[in-house]
Amino acid sequence: MNALLRLASVETKLFFREKQAVFWTFLFPVLMIWLFGAMFGNQKIEGFSYSDAYIPSWVAVQLLTTSLFTLGTTLTGYRESGVLRRFQATPLRPWVVLMAHIAYGLIVFIMSAAVVFIFGTLAFHLNAPKHLTSTIVAVALSVCALFPFGLLLTSLARNTRTAAAVSSLLLNLMLFLSGATFPLAFMPKFLQGVARALPLYYVIDLLRQTWNVSPITSHMTDVAVLAGLCLVSSVLAARFFRWSSEV
Amino acid sequence: MDMAIVVNDLRKSYKSKEAVKGVSFRVARGEIFGIVGPNGAGKTTTLEILEGLRERSAGEVSVLGFDPKKDGRSLRQRIGIQFQSTSIQERLKVSEALDLFASFYERKGDRAALIETLGLGQYMNSQFSKLSGGWKQRLTLALAALHAPDILFLDEPSTGLDPQARRDIWALIQQFRTQGMTVVLTTHYMEEAERLCDRVAMFREGAIAALDTPKRLVSQFAAPKCLTFTSAEADLSVISALPSVERAHRDGDAVWVYAPDLQEISRHLFAVAHERHWTMEAFRFEVGSLDDLFVNLSLEGETA
Repeated sequence: MNALLRLASVETKLFFREKQAVFWTFLFPVLMIWLFGAMFGNQKIEGFSYSDAYIPSWVAVQLLTTSLFTLGTTLTGYRESGVLRRFQATPLRPWVVLMAHIAYGLIVFIMSAAVVFIFGTLAFHLNAPKHLTSTIVAVALSVCALFPFGLLLTSLARNTRTAAAVSSLLLNLMLFLSGATFPLAFMPKFLQGVARALPLYYVIDLLRQTWNVSPITSHMTDVAVLAGLCLVSSVLAARFFRWSSEV
Repeated sequence: MDMAIVVNDLRKSYKSKEAVKGVSFRVARGEIFGIVGPNGAGKTTTLEILEGLRERSAGEVSVLGFDPKKDGRSLRQRIGIQFQSTSIQERLKVSEALDLFASFYERKGDRAALIETLGLGQYMNSQFSKLSGGWKQRLTLALAALHAPDILFLDEPSTGLDPQARRDIWALIQQFRTQGMTVVLTTHYMEEAERLCDRVAMFREGAIAALDTPKRLVSQFAAPKCLTFTSAEADLSVISALPSVERAHRDGDAVWVYAPDLQEISRHLFAVAHERHWTMEAFRFEVGSLDDLFVNLSLEGETA
């Protein structure tokens, strides 16, 4: 337990030591919300105001980028530079390393979500979530689904470059196809079908709905998909965890 | 004697080649045991099998009574490991690294004494990436010894260090031994093996070519059979004709004389030099070293 807490707190400290990474992690969502606000700020999107539709979805995107880049990049880098190998030489268990990274990712995510929330409230009159408990549960479930998913991808990637390429591809795909940036209603039927194959679609839907419309119990499809993803990617992430990059 | 490590007929094969081919040895508690040999001789593979980081293909291994294959995690509570080139998180400070690694172990060593011994105090607030090679090596040594392990495994502990830093590391390793630790180390430097190790196993092509104390290895395999001096006048034909001289050769003014009894041949040489008015300088017996043995064994390996 002590090892888990130490490792999580060390990783969080190290994250804040990379000033540039911190700057972009927190500034990027704010910039995007502002940019899209300039485009769609006065429109109704699927019946919601701009901020009510987009801020929950940017929280979701933030969750994905934390998972793929903050967590993924750190862990792949550690595997490549031999940090994980050094851990392997201690009694440390793989799941402790994974859990510590999830805890550290959670801290970074909560802070960036807070930034997004405050910016949305101040600049775009964001309404507070209608079903707060549901929204919190939805966020927690999404964390459980997306973080192990990110860790799994980095376990499968051979090196940092592959991991970065795969992560960028997934992020861009989901950014544009799961309703985070462009409303799905604008898209042809075929792409709407593709959207439903992407995990982020369910995260965004669940967050938007619990934030603006109805409690989580009315969205059991989203819940089921995310719980399934959580289960599968957790098992696989633990199964395919590798200490070093040599085969 | 109380054994820290017992290895019997250890084998490791990869898809296409056999990296370790039936290695057996024992290491007593409190011993500094050296593994030397050229690259690719199976040193690191053997070490990693003992540490439980790599699975063996066959043979028996017992480290502190544990089978590393089955009880790797319990074993690693009681051993300390330093890799050839260790990396920890670049921006981690020395004090944070010590705290972090201490949290991985049940047993706590004397942290303050360790910092004092290694002289790390002045760098407690420095980030790992800012340390020089020697200080990185000291820190990783500290991380390996932090939990007062029973056995310390060091893979080329002084590679890439300047001579002073290397001597410092040797002194530290000897100090760990006086605290009761058993030390197993691999090295390329024969000087390191001679100065530091109680016994040395010479690995060649996945097998042990020789195993003994450095002194006995040298006297067995690399005993001095040669003396050397410089002289402008010395005549090789005269020297070769002296009793029991096996051969003699020269390179410029330097002369080498090979004979089974060097003291006997020296007497003859000085007598001849006196008669013929040769000036002899820098006269000495060539002292055999593990280096010679190492080169001999490596060459044998190539021709075999």
